[in-house]
Amino acid sequence: MPYTDLREFLSKLEEEGQLIRVKEPVMPEPDLGAIGRAASNMENGPAVLVEKVRGYSQKVVLNVHGSWANHALMFDMPKDTPIKEQFLELSRRWDNFPVPVRYVSSTPVKEVKVTKDINLFELLPLFRINRHDGGFYLSKASVISRDPEDPDNFKKQNVGIYRLQVKGKDLLGIQALPFHDISIHLRKAEERNQPLPVAIAIGNDPVLSFVASTPLGYEESEYELAGALRGEPFEVVKAETSNLDVPAGSEYILEGEILPRRRTPEGPFGEFPGSYSGVRLHAEIKIHTVTHRIDPIFENLYLGLPWTEIDYLQAFNTSIPLYKQIKASMPEVVAVNAMYTHGIGVIISTGCRFGGYGKAVAMRLLSTPHGMPYSKIIIVVDDFVDPFNLEQVMWALTTRVRPDKDVILIPAAPGMPLDPSSEPPGMHTKLIIDATTPVPPDVVSREVELIETPPKTELWEKVLRDLQSKIKGRG
Amino acid sequence: MICPRCDRDSAYKVVDSPVGEEWSVFICEKCFYTWRSTEDEEITNPEKFDPRFKLTEESFEKMLCIPPIPPLKSGG
Ligand SMILES: [Zn+2]
Repeated sequence: MPYTDLREFLSKLEEEGQLIRVKEPVMPEPDLGAIGRAASNMENGPAVLVEKVRGYSQKVVLNVHGSWANHALMFDMPKDTPIKEQFLELSRRWDNFPVPVRYVSSTPVKEVKVTKDINLFELLPLFRINRHDGGFYLSKASVISRDPEDPDNFKKQNVGIYRLQVKGKDLLGIQALPFHDISIHLRKAEERNQPLPVAIAIGNDPVLSFVASTPLGYEESEYELAGALRGEPFEVVKAETSNLDVPAGSEYILEGEILPRRRTPEGPFGEFPGSYSGVRLHAEIKIHTVTHRIDPIFENLYLGLPWTEIDYLQAFNTSIPLYKQIKASMPEVVAVNAMYTHGIGVIISTGCRFGGYGKAVAMRLLSTPHGMPYSKIIIVVDDFVDPFNLEQVMWALTTRVRPDKDVILIPAAPGMPLDPSSEPPGMHTKLIIDATTPVPPDVVSREVELIETPPKTELWEKVLRDLQSKIKGRG
Repeated sequence: MICPRCDRDSAYKVVDSPVGEEWSVFICEKCFYTWRSTEDEEITNPEKFDPRFKLTEESFEKMLCIPPIPPLKSGG
């Protein structure tokens, strides 16, 4: 059964031993950032519910997506589901897209409504995430907006996670990069010198955060992808002051508008490549209405030197669209692992139709919209190698690669400016390593026979696991 | 109040802790640097602020604008 909101998911995590409560009061700085970092450093890192933050009355939850166990539970799979199985299951559900939303009329997020003397520093337990951030950030909030030239078109309504700096009692800064969908909405509003209405949802069904950070097409609805991935329509409710549809299950909804033709300093902010972005002039959002639950939980995300929660959150919503795009013309492709620094590093597993096919698969990746700028290091392995199992990938590299013919550099190709090694920013050299087994007409000079798995291995794995769990139970 | 990052006299208090007398938060209305009274001096004190993150007049002039502001569409 899918979860209706964050709270249901937190209960499930607690039941499964994947949520920890911190009951003693903590300081906002440096404790909350440190807790986020520490939780993602742990093996099978749990979500952490901080019940008391000094000076605030609200609870804070961190690291909700921060392990493969939590990731599996979000999609209602057993928490020990192997990564590749999670990938294949999600990829199957993706094909059910789009699933229309369900409208509801009353929800807990409307319990409290604030329209006067809004002070976000009182309403939200805000904190500095990394030491040199320029301020306090909402790092996991979904921003909803509509196309000002086509405001009734549901499919053009966008839901995206953009970093938001709290810059005043009722003021936010938003990082909208030119290739983000919200920047199209903003451009159209600014050409008319009109404000752009937005709603900001904090504390959501975990699947919403997953789809809100997925790079979908302009006319593809994140809510309708959420419906496909969770197996039931996603529930929305109308915002108080606009025709925006907001998640019915949220903890908080902030409503306001992006002020037209205005940019003010924002940043720095510790970003996903593990370094700080600079101070830039970004757009501003003025908040005029806040609704929230009576006892709201503030969900935020720690990000830093990988791996942290954001790497789990973006692992498959980067990998699966790339997989779908490549597989459409190259059906031999089995899986795509694009989870290293948002797809800068990619491992593709594929069968080879003829000699040189592995290289062709890599070049296909480099012609996709995301792979073209982001992907820099591409490793191609055989179809029987699990691209999510780095020991297997290293085996392929060490036993299949002939560096003189299998390692290729493509200089002066499109790059990704947030990659600190990109020079000039926005360009880099591509590296392809073809670690597939040669097939004709490639020269197969030495036949190799793989060692097969002994019969009954699977059975014995289960027996040994059961014996081991009995020892643990006694301890 | 002096902003620890840009050294201008442009910071103001935005909140006292809603529960107890634990801390206050300040914001610079010029560069939007934000800090809490309970943070250490490298964050709160203009003289001890980490020099790598200080802002000067030149840094304000050089700031990139993202996304760029489009030309107004005339007529309508
Ligand atoms: Zn300042």
